[in-house]
Amino acid sequence: MTDMQTNHIIALENLAIGYDKGNALLSGVNLSVRPGEMVALIGRNGTGKSTLLKSMIGLVPMMDGACYLDGDPLHSYDLRKRAQKVSYVSSQVSQLPSISVLELVTLGRMPHTGWMGRLEEQDRSMVTQALEEVQMGSFLNRKLDQLSDGERQRVMIARAFVQDTPLMVLDEPTAFLDIPNKYELIRLLTGFREKGKSIVYSTHDLETAMMCADKLWVIHRGQILEGAPEDLGISGVFNRLFDATGITFDEDVRRFKYTESPKGSIQLMGEPEHALIWTGSALERLGFEVKDGADSLIQVSKSEQGYGWLLSHNERTISFENIYNLARFLIKDK
Amino acid sequence: MGLLVLLLVALALLDIRLGSVRITFAEIIHHLRGSEHLSEQQLIILNKFRLPRLATALLAGAALPVCGLQMQTLFRNPLAGPYVLGISSGASFGAALVVLGAGATGIVATWNLAVAAWLGAGMVMLLLLFVSFRIKDVMTILILGIMFSSGLAAVISIMQFFSQAAALKSFVIWSMGSLGNVTGLQLQIMTWAILPLLLLSFFYLKVLNGLMLGEEYAVTMGIRIQRTRIIIFATTSILTGTITAFCGPIGFIGIAVPHMARFIFRQSDHKILLPATMLTGMVVLVLSDIISQMPGTERVLPINAVTSLIGIPVVIWLVIVNRKSQSL
Repeated sequence: MTDMQTNHIIALENLAIGYDKGNALLSGVNLSVRPGEMVALIGRNGTGKSTLLKSMIGLVPMMDGACYLDGDPLHSYDLRKRAQKVSYVSSQVSQLPSISVLELVTLGRMPHTGWMGRLEEQDRSMVTQALEEVQMGSFLNRKLDQLSDGERQRVMIARAFVQDTPLMVLDEPTAFLDIPNKYELIRLLTGFREKGKSIVYSTHDLETAMMCADKLWVIHRGQILEGAPEDLGISGVFNRLFDATGITFDEDVRRFKYTESPKGSIQLMGEPEHALIWTGSALERLGFEVKDGADSLIQVSKSEQGYGWLLSHNERTISFENIYNLARFLIKDK
Repeated sequence: MGLLVLLLVALALLDIRLGSVRITFAEIIHHLRGSEHLSEQQLIILNKFRLPRLATALLAGAALPVCGLQMQTLFRNPLAGPYVLGISSGASFGAALVVLGAGATGIVATWNLAVAAWLGAGMVMLLLLFVSFRIKDVMTILILGIMFSSGLAAVISIMQFFSQAAALKSFVIWSMGSLGNVTGLQLQIMTWAILPLLLLSFFYLKVLNGLMLGEEYAVTMGIRIQRTRIIIFATTSILTGTITAFCGPIGFIGIAVPHMARFIFRQSDHKILLPATMLTGMVVLVLSDIISQMPGTERVLPINAVTSLIGIPVVIWLVIVNRKSQSL
């Protein structure tokens, strides 16, 4: 037994994953998760995120290497024992049956009940508690196909939670969610971490991941990098993540942004401040660079009638009463 | 559930009563309690014809919808039924071989027919189990099942094309289904083939519930998919094969009844749904049998036509009017 195997809830050693023999999506994967850690898996579409997650929990056979779940090789578990160690939330939302919220979450107790699936008091109270926790306590009899994306995802997560496993694996749990729902979901997951669970989830949302994950796994060019978000930030991998797509990582705001060579430069003046900020962001969106001393000038002003924009260009001055018209003119003109 | 049981008992009594020879409710009840009120002729009719017929209806009425329910859950498809795997086509093929190929007709052929149909169903079952050991994707198996049955249907139509008029007629009559041909030893065999498997299906309630989220989730919740699938296929094959062998094909109740049960009980938990499906199925098939005897006339309609005519509007109604209540 190595340290890798004993002190980790899951440890991958020299793992190779994929579906085609001789054509692995990823190989030589060495990764691990300690108890109580939250790991976010980042990578572009088609790099093997889902396959990695599925291989890790035995849904897809590994091509090579070993996976240790709570110290024992994954293959040494029977399915029921495995289901007591790791729960899973799939990224697929289609084709869910129209069963009730309560029925669905109760299914999570399956690995703990007898052959008839009889529920004890403890099972029931766990289900109710989990539903309260995800704020779906008043939706018990609602059918699954009558829920919004956010509600449905919270129910799916409650189902995984009542499975009562030390490790939870979630494939893109925040996809399709609006911003409040996304943060609510992350809050739930960090809450589970506080309770000592280990969480591995894949996401395209690096910003949120950097705010909450203890560790990132980043797939890039067939390699997978592991480290604290900041470690990976220092290594510069985020900048390389979207090579040749025009997307770069802005370290100041720790955010990706889309950059093309600017269509031109414009100087921005005037007040109030927040109108300037929004005008600047419009110019950025349209592909213009805001630069002092540029040939063109936009003056922002505010009067009794509202906001106004004055564009001076080639000794012509045109006034606009909103950014929409200004933007239309700029696109046509340049 | 209680209401359905009462309805079933009432329909069963009505079913026994119907027929050209008059037996009153009072006489039936006295008879069932062991007292001797019936004439010799009435006794023969009751014991040799009406009771076996009712027993057959109850067995088939319980078993076919259970197969349908299991198939709908396993394939997560509301249109799946006991016949999607091609089992009944296998049975038809066996029957066609005997009737059309060997030219056997009449009562003598009943046994040969049943055995051949059973063998035909068994052949398809073995093929299916062989395939499901090798193929992981359950949808592929569904498509293969449909292909088996279309292929066999094509072969049967060729055999029909080249057969004699008399043989063709008895095959067509077989394919219209009948609850009335199963008596004596045949009924015993049918009972022993069906009852244990219906009981077995109660051991799989939890697993069926687990399958509702799809196979991927089922695996992560500890269900052994391959084993489950093989048990469900084998159960369905034996149940459907046996019923088809003895009664001919009985259409639509396998597909429609699980939907009726879902609608009546508003449940998707198989612990409720499975017994509800059995009960509803028995009610529907006994009712179909009553209708097929066309009370007040001397004529009898083929049972397959009656069940289809009852089943089809139900499916259409469920699909159009009541889409939300379908839990698949």
